[in-house]
Amino acid sequence: MEFPYFQFPWLGDGLVIGVNAVIHVFISHGVSIGLVSMVVLAEYVGWRRGEAGWDSFAKAAIKPTVIIITSLGAMTGVGIWFTTSAMVPSGIGSMLRVFFWPWFIEWVVFAMEVVVLVTYYFTWDAWSGPRKRRHVYLGGSYMVLAGLSALIITGILGFMLTSDGWPWDRSFWGAFFNPTFLPQLAWRLSEALVMGAAFVMIFLLFWHRDLALQREALRLYATILAGAAVPMAASGWWWFHVVPSSFKTHAVFAFQMMTGLRETPWFWAGHVVLVGLVALAVAAGWLRSGVMAKLLILPATFGVLVFAAEYEWVREFIRGPYLMPGYMYANTVLLSEHELFRQEGMLKHAYWYNRLAQTPSLEEEGAFLFAQNCGTCHTIGGRNDIRARFRGKPEDAIFVILGRTEQMIPFMPAFSGTDEERTKLARFITQLQRQAVHLEAPARYTRIPGQEQQ
Amino acid sequence: MSVLHDILLPLPVTEMLARGLLFAAFALHLLFVLMMLGTGILAFAYFTRAWWAGELGGAGAPTAASELRWDKRVLRTFLVHKSMAVVLGVGPLLLIQVVFSIPFFTALTIFAPLWLLIILFLIAASLSFDALGHKAHVHRHVHLAIGLFAIVVLLAIPGFFAAVLVSAENPDRWLSILRGRFAFDRPLLIHWSLRYLHVLGAAIVFASAFHYFFTAKNDSARRQSLVRWMLGGLLAQVAIGIGLFLSLLREPTFSGYVYLFVGGVLAAALIGLAAFHSGGVPMSPRFVVPGLVVLLVSMLLVRQGFQDRAFGALIPQVRQNAEEYQKKLDSYTEQAVKDYRGHIQIVYDNGTTIYARSCSFCHGTEGQGDGPDAHYLSVPPENLAAVRSTKAYLYLKISQGVPGSGMPYFSYFSPPKLDSLIAYLAQTWGVLAEPSPVTAPVSKADMEAAVQEYQRTCAQCHGRDGRSLTDVSKDLRPQPPDFTAFSLQPQWSFNVITNGYRGTAMPGYGSLPEGVRWGLVKVVQEKRMGGSAATRSDAGTDSQ
Repeated sequence: MEFPYFQFPWLGDGLVIGVNAVIHVFISHGVSIGLVSMVVLAEYVGWRRGEAGWDSFAKAAIKPTVIIITSLGAMTGVGIWFTTSAMVPSGIGSMLRVFFWPWFIEWVVFAMEVVVLVTYYFTWDAWSGPRKRRHVYLGGSYMVLAGLSALIITGILGFMLTSDGWPWDRSFWGAFFNPTFLPQLAWRLSEALVMGAAFVMIFLLFWHRDLALQREALRLYATILAGAAVPMAASGWWWFHVVPSSFKTHAVFAFQMMTGLRETPWFWAGHVVLVGLVALAVAAGWLRSGVMAKLLILPATFGVLVFAAEYEWVREFIRGPYLMPGYMYANTVLLSEHELFRQEGMLKHAYWYNRLAQTPSLEEEGAFLFAQNCGTCHTIGGRNDIRARFRGKPEDAIFVILGRTEQMIPFMPAFSGTDEERTKLARFITQLQRQAVHLEAPARYTRIPGQEQQ
Repeated sequence: MSVLHDILLPLPVTEMLARGLLFAAFALHLLFVLMMLGTGILAFAYFTRAWWAGELGGAGAPTAASELRWDKRVLRTFLVHKSMAVVLGVGPLLLIQVVFSIPFFTALTIFAPLWLLIILFLIAASLSFDALGHKAHVHRHVHLAIGLFAIVVLLAIPGFFAAVLVSAENPDRWLSILRGRFAFDRPLLIHWSLRYLHVLGAAIVFASAFHYFFTAKNDSARRQSLVRWMLGGLLAQVAIGIGLFLSLLREPTFSGYVYLFVGGVLAAALIGLAAFHSGGVPMSPRFVVPGLVVLLVSMLLVRQGFQDRAFGALIPQVRQNAEEYQKKLDSYTEQAVKDYRGHIQIVYDNGTTIYARSCSFCHGTEGQGDGPDAHYLSVPPENLAAVRSTKAYLYLKISQGVPGSGMPYFSYFSPPKLDSLIAYLAQTWGVLAEPSPVTAPVSKADMEAAVQEYQRTCAQCHGRDGRSLTDVSKDLRPQPPDFTAFSLQPQWSFNVITNGYRGTAMPGYGSLPEGVRWGLVKVVQEKRMGGSAATRSDAGTDSQ
């Protein structure tokens, strides 16, 4: 309410933030931690055994790896800041005030990571022979830094979802070392190795011509993939186990929202197929069958990425109605503000609404109430369309449902506002369904005065 | 009337420290940004010049293939500048969002589309330049096309950032920007364009100095060319800088003048040096590098002074507003946290909880359709205690909802949860049981009249088979129920036939004799039991 409103048109805020974040997870985990580790390992093996084939493979693999990390990985990482700050500014602004120092330390670690990675990349030829040891150690120190940044970010991410301590005592450590911290860290590190092994196998099979090395390396990486998949599955289960029950029930909703997965048997069958593909790819690698591995590695990698995306999807979804537990709803209304707005009204306390709407009309009032209450998740005419959600509902029913969202739908925040405002929003939605209102600036949910003069 | 207030949670760091860190982090970030931008500009310029001079081979490979083409050598460092610029940008972003939350978030939400485009542009520019800097040569036309795309996209990015910063620093213009369709007015536009050009000029100066010392090394021809770039850049910077100063909307502070003076002296010295040395004498990094760094810092201090002035009154005001707002909220906080504590203890994994939370506010705790919100609804909620239906039918109605009535869809509950809800309804009110037999006396004549009445009147909507899928009824919202799967306890069924169902197309038939209405109850009930009305009507006579 203290910032001009913006919603990503058609796709909605959540999907844009989520897609950016999931791509970032693929790269930050799979490439920055996983793939680089596999490259360092190859260099290490080549160095210990004195085999040039391993080293030239590692050197060939590091170039695309560095390009992906420094372009897609870094940009989508910054993208998380950009997307959240444009769409949920008071959410990210409040989070920053709790987690300023971890984020600041994380930034320093990031910068060191980039320096080490770029040095590692550019010194490959120069630091050879007797200086090779130093180069391998540099690779190792990168892995330590990458693990450290995973550790810091996990503390922050876990809080957003399932903190038990912070809502009551507002203590930083309670927020950081929340119950899901350790399992999530274990999940992320093992997931990174699984993805890294899958990615390096793709590179090995499709880009690397040294067939003798290919056969040898395939078995090594297949073993790592299988070996890391076990802790990944175990930590996934562990994580789910420590999530408080009231959040846990939301997990199934995450998939219930996807039409194709609504029927549980299909959902599990899909998982079994994906696990099977990964297992087959591992077996092909173990048996050193280049042809079979070539056939299987892409579908298996797809499976691994699906699991990674699924975890983030569930993790984001099960926090349900809260952005910050006990403090802020997902629509960035504070829990205490909710009480205030119920008594005094939301419109009255909306700074930009009052600046911009000169002659409040139903369209403007309704659009603003929609934007602030529902706009984080719902759009008009796009994804999670509010008109579809209320299809066939008379205005009185919309009024009732709006007043009971938090109680009726476990993952939805409450409507914040007076009964009069709820009536206005119900009428606005009804008018939307009759196509009787038209928003001039759909991304802003307010008619910008000045546009009317046209 | 509402006031603008800061984010309510307290600052996690003292303001002095945050400002100091912000300045240092931003200076570091900017240094690499300038080298990234300048490297892109120089590489593209050198490529076109090589083409112009005929130095490119037929396809674009250099005529002297012994070493990497010059523009590619310049571009080789792009990856480092870009990586450092991006990663070092996170720190200032973090700090500015903490200490100047209101102006910064306001400006970037105003320009949210541009702000989000930055991500795509960064990725596109970065990958394109990485491709061009590669050892492998593409055809010069392809190189030109990729290069043009890359340079346009790259140079747009500081323009977007400058727009956000210019608007952040001018809180008094926010409303007019929002009202003016997100466009700057003329003074802001002039200020923004000069500021943007000032960034590009600085990029050329810093990148040419960097490549002079790092890439060209002892190649005196390249060095001469780079000094000319630097000289041109510095001269342009002075001109643009004077314009930028004049375009400012606020008076600088005294220290601002001091920093400006220091910067001006350094710029003049560097210009002199570059002009003098473009004759061929190499420049010494011992003066140029520190000189450029001090120049950058003094110019950033001037900028900082203006920014502090711009935020001067605003920041304390929004912080004070935040304190007052927080005080107001304090009286609600305890209740809110208590509600939260209660809410996270609710686990929606059983029929009892789901009914209590998701159903009872309409259907009532006793299931009689008399929940606290029922009176708002134009179509009264069903009296669940009277429902006698099948599991499949209830499952359908609960998961899909009933369009035209207030009954929402509950497909977000998984099938096992809906099963447990139906089990709860069955256990509590027997919704899956058979309807109780009609005990009211119905004479044979009444029964026959009822059968006829059903065929004549009711069947129009409910169909002879009771499935309610006739031409008349199939488009009704809410849809009449399917009598073969759904029935009501006799008394409730009788009430509906007598009084109709409010809010729906079902009228009341209170004018029919009571016996006929009871007969209709039987007719309808028999659809559910799968029997035919005729055989059952005999049973009706037996009871007499």
